[in-house]
Parts: sequence; structure tokens; C-alpha cells
Amino acid sequence: MSDTAATLTQDRQKLEMAALSAPAVIFTVGMIAFPVVYTIWLGFQTFSSTGKQSFAGLANYSKLVADYEFWHGLWVTIALYVLSLALQLLFGVWLALVLFHAKRLPGVVRSLFISPFMMPPVVAGMMWLVILDPSLGAANYILQALGLPPSDWLASPTWVIPTVALIDSWQWTPYVALIVLGGLQSLPPSVYEAAQIDGASPFKTFQRITLPLLLPTIVTAAILRSVDLLRFFDIIYITTQGGPGNASNTLNIYGFRVGFEFFNIGYASALMLTLTAIVFGAVLAFNRLRGAVAW
Amino acid sequence: MKARMLAAHVALPVLAIAVVNGQARAADFDWMKFKGKTVTFLANNNPVAQALLTYKADFEKLTGMTLKVDGYQEQQMRQRLVTVMNASSDEIDAFMTLPSREGEQFAAAGWYGDLTAMAKNEVAKDYDPNGLSQALLKAATFNGKLTSMPMNIEGPILYYRTDVFKKCGLEAPKTIKDVEAAAEKIKACDSAVTPFVSRGLKPAVAYTFSNMLHNIGGTYIANGKSNLCSTKGKETLETYSRLLRDFGPPGVVNYSFQQISALYRSGRAAMAFESSNELRTVMEGGARLKDTGLLPFPEGEAGQVPTTIGWGMAVSSHSKRPEAAWYFVQWATSPEVQKKMALQGIAPPRPSVAKDPEYRRWIDEEPVRKEWQAALDVLATKGSSEVGYPIVANPESREFIGQAVQDLILKQKPIEQACADADKALDALIAQK
Repeated sequence: MSDTAATLTQDRQKLEMAALSAPAVIFTVGMIAFPVVYTIWLGFQTFSSTGKQSFAGLANYSKLVADYEFWHGLWVTIALYVLSLALQLLFGVWLALVLFHAKRLPGVVRSLFISPFMMPPVVAGMMWLVILDPSLGAANYILQALGLPPSDWLASPTWVIPTVALIDSWQWTPYVALIVLGGLQSLPPSVYEAAQIDGASPFKTFQRITLPLLLPTIVTAAILRSVDLLRFFDIIYITTQGGPGNASNTLNIYGFRVGFEFFNIGYASALMLTLTAIVFGAVLAFNRLRGAVAW
Repeated sequence: MKARMLAAHVALPVLAIAVVNGQARAADFDWMKFKGKTVTFLANNNPVAQALLTYKADFEKLTGMTLKVDGYQEQQMRQRLVTVMNASSDEIDAFMTLPSREGEQFAAAGWYGDLTAMAKNEVAKDYDPNGLSQALLKAATFNGKLTSMPMNIEGPILYYRTDVFKKCGLEAPKTIKDVEAAAEKIKACDSAVTPFVSRGLKPAVAYTFSNMLHNIGGTYIANGKSNLCSTKGKETLETYSRLLRDFGPPGVVNYSFQQISALYRSGRAAMAFESSNELRTVMEGGARLKDTGLLPFPEGEAGQVPTTIGWGMAVSSHSKRPEAAWYFVQWATSPEVQKKMALQGIAPPRPSVAKDPEYRRWIDEEPVRKEWQAALDVLATKGSSEVGYPIVANPESREFIGQAVQDLILKQKPIEQACADADKALDALIAQK
């Protein structure tokens, strides 16, 4: 076959491949790009309470800068994010170590421990709402049985964020543990054998070998949880709807209410795009960190 | 005099022709007209819709139509509706609506189909549109357009424990001050029960707060401005929040109807200011059947102005089958169906149903039902459907009322600041077009 004929065949093959994959590519790009572009466009519109729409330029974004609820929502989002992520990583690593070393019925123990994250967040929210009810819930009953003072839990402006962080951590710590457990199982045994020969204590082994080698896995878990935590919605919506007052009004809850309860879709879009930018920022930061700790 | 005679000579024949025409049309009415069509109904999964949908098969048998039900909890139902309506989609033909909350807004957005002509011309012989509560029909009429047909009548009423009152030497409260005095006495007399409970959850507060505000003689708006910082406004804010803070359950700021009903039903509240619709839930299990008294909320300085609202059934302005949807609306709000629903504890918006012998027998079975009906009669005759600010942005206005109440319950702001902050935000909403 001459060079020209070979080139023509190659070009034809490329064309065929492009034609065959085009529908999937168009569909995927359309599904991702259209909502994003549409939301960006909506962010430049203003909607009256009756749904009448007009072009607003950057008005939604300048409103956002001056909006106390936005800054408060941002603070609540970050506080909830930092607290929940710290709890989930800390207890996730601990739980992974427990599961890794579980000798009796490891399958049963693992299934039992990971069951909370199989539960739909709405069900988890409803369940905790009942448990934490200050009058009828089991949590205060137990506290009082132990001679401790009862708490208002989700109804206290002071305790609502730690309480929501605890509920989310109860549900998602097993997920982090599962990821870390995978990392633990893939660590090279030779390193541990060398440490044992050198007489390293279990704590030193964990501190100097396990933890550094696990860091890329932990950062991966942190990235996955960051995306969810910054968009925190379901459990808050079920348990507090952003209250008491606005003590748990995250950006996501605030944007949702602005859009779907007050029908200001333009401003809600601007809020959500800002939140998306924050999520992207966090993911990029963790990605860089992952690159730095990779081995 | 001349004018009166002219009116008699011209208007009466016109009225007679209209009646004859109406009768002729009613005689032509055929329930099977849209046989084979499908009507999609967006339902709020509350006791009203649950009772109605028990008879779904009856509608399908009567009309030969298929009824597709898209049911959600209240908030989710509104979100679905907003999405569908903003997209001008014809996915939904009929939907449930609360005119006191979203009526102005949905009407201004053009989401309601106009039922005025259909309610006159396209009715079955026994439908009797004039037999529906005139107050609720008026509340559902915007700019002369009838936008929904009433499905029920409801409002907040006071549930109180007769045994606890007797034990503490108390009479049924007649005034708001009596409620507070009773709460004080119950707190000292029986530490096992919460003396008073009502809505504390921010978006839910307006429903019960409005009743107290109107009883005290306050108004939401005066001279085009928000009026919460008026003397009566502040008195209501202070009384409502004090009752919940000093005599309510811990965590009351997260309380809406579910928590209130659960607390009262379990015997842990002496007084509950909650919706008349909750009777069935509160009486579940029968524990409260013999020790509960019911009253419209006791009077304040302006007397008794109970909050009276009702769910309505509307036809979507984007529906491609508005007439078929109207047949469903008509069936759902017909005397026959409303009587069946009434026997399930859904208060009928038709005085004729409320007087029906079978319904009366059901009422007479239990003293608590008699008191419930008596309270509903007061709601029907004296009620106001103003819940929150009578403006297009009514749902948002409820947030700020709730915020002011929560600020006071949680002692986060003094009264002057709480009402001033709320008035400032509400003035901005009132100014919105």
C-alpha cells in the first residue's frame, strides 16, 4: 500500500471514530455545559416576585457582596465544612485501622460499621431529628439518666453547627474509613517487616510509616468529602431548615430558599455559582496537596 | 326609585335567563365528556389530599378519565410547581394551592387558569358552586378572576387538656391573658407537662402569630409601611414569644405542626395552639379523645379574629386540557366528595355538608368533635385569611415575622431591635412590585 493510501485509510478511520463517538460527546457536553451556561445566564437576570424577568447585568453579584445573609451563609458553610471534615478524617482513619485489624467476623464488622452511609440522608436526618428532640428524644433522656444537663441540640444557635456536624460525621465517617481501608490494604508489607526488624513501636510505625504512606489516600477522601460538605443541604433541610434564626443557614440552603421559596431565580443562580467557585477552589487546593504528598 | 324599578325590570329578567341557562347547561352536563383523557394532579401529601385520593377510583369510574397523581410534601410540591410553571410546561393540569400564602404571587405570575366561566357554565346539576364558603371563594379571587375552588376550611385552634385544667383549678381560657395565667399556674401545678406550645419554626410562625395579632388588634401594614413596631405589633411579638420562651417546650424554635401534634398527643402539653386539621393526628390512638377541649384562640383587645384558610384546587394556565382538569376540580370539590372527606375529619368548606345528618351523627359521636365543629363555625363566620403580609412576596414576609419571634424567644435581640429589623426588611418587600 502506498503512503498516500495508508494516510487516507488512517484519516477515514479517524473520521469514523469521530462520527461514532460524536453523539456521546455531544450528549455529555450538552448535559454538563447547558445547565452551567444557563445558570450563568440566569445570574445576569432579575426576577420579580411574580416571575417577570429582566436583564440585570452584575446587579445580582453586587447585591451578593452587600448581603449580610450571604456572608453569614459563607461563614456557616465554612465552619460546618472544617468541623465535619476534621471529625470525619480523624475518626475515619481510626475506624479504618480498627476494621483493618478486626480478626473476628471481619465481613460482618465491616458491614455493620459502614451501614450508616448506605442510609439515605433524609432518613438519617429524620432519625436524628427524633433522637435529638429536646422534649421527646432519646439523647436528652440518656444525658439525664447519666446525671448530665439536657441540651437543646438542633434548637440552640450555639450547638446547632456542632450537632449537624456530628450527624453528618456519624453518616459519612464510615465512607472515609472505607477509602482509607483500601489504602491500608495496598501498603507494601516489606516496609512494616523492616520496621519490625528495627524494633519500631506500634505508635512509631503508625506515625512514621502508615500515616505518611496513607496521606495521598486521606487527601483523596478529603476531596470527595469536601465537594459534598461545601454543598451541605439535605440533613440541614430536614432537621433545621437553616435555623434556629439563621444559625445553620448554609449558602446552599440560602440559595435554595431564595430560588424556590422566594422565586428570585437570578439571585439564587448568582449565589450558587459563587458556591460552585468555592467548591472548585477547595478541590484545586486539595489536588495540589495530593500532588505534594504523592509517593 | 326609578333606578330601583329599572333594576327590577332589567336585572330580574336577566337573572332569570341566567338561571334558566345555567339549568339548561347543567342538564347538558356529561361527566363522560372527556372519557379516555388523562389529567395530571400535583398534590400536597397532606390529610386533605390523602382523604380525597381515597376516592380516586370513583372519579375514574365516573368520568372514564385517568387521574395521574404527582404527590409530594408541601415544600417539595411548591418547588415542583415553580419549576414546571417557570418552564411553561403543560405537565400539570390541576394543582393544590393555598391562596392565603401564594395566591397573590401565583395570580400575578399568571399561573392560575381562570375558573370564573367554567364555574358558571360547565357544572353538574348538583355541584352548587354558590354553596361553597363565600369567604374562601373571595380569598381565591384575584382581579375578578376565580383561581381555585375551596377543598377544606381550617385554621389554628386551641387544644387544651381538661384533666390538667381541672387538676390545677383552672377554667377554659376566655382571653389571651387567661392563656398566659393558665400557663403560669400549670407550670407550678404540674411540672410533667409543657404548659403551652405553638409554632416556633421560622417559616411556620405566621400561621398562628397572625391570629394573635388580629385578636390583639394589630395590623401588618399601616400607611403602606410594615407595622410590627406599633404598640399592638410589639405587644403581640412579646406575648407570643414570651408564651413560647417561658412556657413552651425546649427547642420550640424548631416546632411546627408535626412536633406540636406529637407533643400534645403524647400527653406532654397542656395547651397546643395548632391547626384544626391536626384533630385526626392528635386523636390517633385515642389517648386524648376524652381529656381534650377545643376552642378558637381566646380573644384579645380586638375580640376574636381567627385565622381561616383553606386549600384550594386550581387549574394550571399551561394545561392543554383545562376543561378536563376542571371536571376533576369540580368532582373534588363537589358536595358528595366533600361529605365523604368530612367523615374523615376534613372540615368541609360547604355549610350544607356541615349540616348533613350523616356528618352531624359523626360529629355527635364524640364531645371533642362537637367542640371542633363549634370552633370551625366561629372560624367560618369571623375568620380572616390574612396570614403574613397581604403582598405578592407573602412567603418571604413570613420569614421576617418568624425571625423577629425567634430573636425574642432566643433573647438574641431586645424587642425594639427585633421589630425594627423586621420592619426594615418588610418595608423593602412591600415596596417590591
